[in-house]
Amino acid sequence: MSLFQAILIGLMSCTAASTIACLGTTVGNYTLNRPLVASLFVGLILGDVSGCILIGIPMQVMWIALVTPGGTVASDLRAVSYIGIPLAYVGCRAAGIDYASDEAFQLASSISALTGTIGITLFYGTAMMNLIWQHIGWAALDKGNFEIVGKVDALMPLISHFCLSFLPVTLLCYFGSTAVEEVFQYLDTSVWYVKALLTVGSVLPAVGMSILLKSVVNKTSDLLYFMFGFVLAAAMGLTLLAATVIGGVFALINYQLTMAKKAPAAAAGVVVEEEEDI
Amino acid sequence: MKKISKKTLNSAFWKWWYGNLTCFSHEHMQTFGYMWAMIPILKELYPTHEEQSKKLETYYAFFNTEPQIGCIVVGITAGLEEARANGAEGIDDEMINGIRAGLMGPLAGIGDSLIVGTYIPILLGIAVGFAEGGNVLGPLFYIIVWNATSIWFQKFIFDKGYSLGGSAVELLVGEQATAFRESVIILGQVVVGAMAASWVNITTPIQIATNSEGEPVMLQANLDGAFPKILTMLFVLLCWWMMAKKGMTPIKTLLIMAVVAFVGSVCGILG
Repeated sequence: MSLFQAILIGLMSCTAASTIACLGTTVGNYTLNRPLVASLFVGLILGDVSGCILIGIPMQVMWIALVTPGGTVASDLRAVSYIGIPLAYVGCRAAGIDYASDEAFQLASSISALTGTIGITLFYGTAMMNLIWQHIGWAALDKGNFEIVGKVDALMPLISHFCLSFLPVTLLCYFGSTAVEEVFQYLDTSVWYVKALLTVGSVLPAVGMSILLKSVVNKTSDLLYFMFGFVLAAAMGLTLLAATVIGGVFALINYQLTMAKKAPAAAAGVVVEEEEDI
Repeated sequence: MKKISKKTLNSAFWKWWYGNLTCFSHEHMQTFGYMWAMIPILKELYPTHEEQSKKLETYYAFFNTEPQIGCIVVGITAGLEEARANGAEGIDDEMINGIRAGLMGPLAGIGDSLIVGTYIPILLGIAVGFAEGGNVLGPLFYIIVWNATSIWFQKFIFDKGYSLGGSAVELLVGEQATAFRESVIILGQVVVGAMAASWVNITTPIQIATNSEGEPVMLQANLDGAFPKILTMLFVLLCWWMMAKKGMTPIKTLLIMAVVAFVGSVCGILG
């Protein structure tokens, strides 16, 4: 990877720096920060869009639901997207692993978990550094100068991003890619410990799925809907889009039933009868 | 009669939309983003610098919610501030901050479970489906659909908050909205099941016997014969149980599972 490519990836990481992204919540955090989207941009920078997207898919699956209640995070996606994806891609390329293979999927999952959890330090570091700018802001507000608020909110945090996103990401991509290439060149997937690491990569996405499951399940009986969706795909072979449609039908029935219960008794009777006809 | 102009409302909306979390810290969270959004409104409603400065103090109070659904709160306070500038009775710092503090908790719960926990994962799930084989359609689909729908929704509830005031919250927590939300979450539960089955694949190499022709009988094949991919499902449910019922953090669960997988592979049980 050239220094120029590493710098571009470093810049992208600032725009997408998790909760504190310098392009805001909707575009920064929830668009450019997602590994699937990031893989497109990393692919454009590294010159292999489809290869990077294939690497980005398992990384996205691993952290598909990342809710940050009260500012506590389980993973920093900027590190997954802009450190994990480029390094995993370079590694697979050096090892000659097919990007669409199971090995690539498992390897990317492991790297996704690793970079995501270690990357949390970047998130907390940025949040800590922002305290400096806020302190400057409060001091100015005490003197009645409120024009500074915009600068504190939008401009000064760019310094935090330079120190805690641009520098580490650029350096890790530039120097890390060479190191990763050297290690992966001699990767033998039949050795026991490499096999074990790949198994780790196949089990970890289950944790990612359960984080997502936890965010939608309120009571234990809800798990039946989860199993229903699981059976649709695993036993009946439906694609995700098809399963979404079936889930949508159940959602609609539930909505109509709930509303019918709340409507006056007469109206409710009609709706229930209609349901029985079906 | 003072009225906030369309231009100023837009300016406040975009400032909040962009800046709600750009200067996040664990001490003040979204407070600076909120103040930044309120400044154009205060400048238009109050003539003197002293008064603008004084009124901004209302928004010194801590604020944190799911910022996208939180647009409605900024809209509501814009309306309240307009009423206060027109001399309405009973609108003071305490009242405005009471509304802000009362809304941020429930809205964060709705936003986190509905937008971040259900809508985004479903969109990403569909996008991952489109991206198979390395197709750019996947990321492009997500970029366009997410941004278009999310920005429209944020602007919509911001405007509703401004025009309807406190009763706008009914849009999000009223009977109909609650029924809608619960139904969408059912959709989410079904989709998560389908995602887990499509993307996670945990297998065991254990051989349980040899059949009459001397071929190995694999446990995996027998399990799948009874319930396809049951091992994968049990792992997801186990992780869910560890986090939801045992209160473990995701990172702890991740570490335990990494150890289980590593040891399982070395012992020849998994992989």
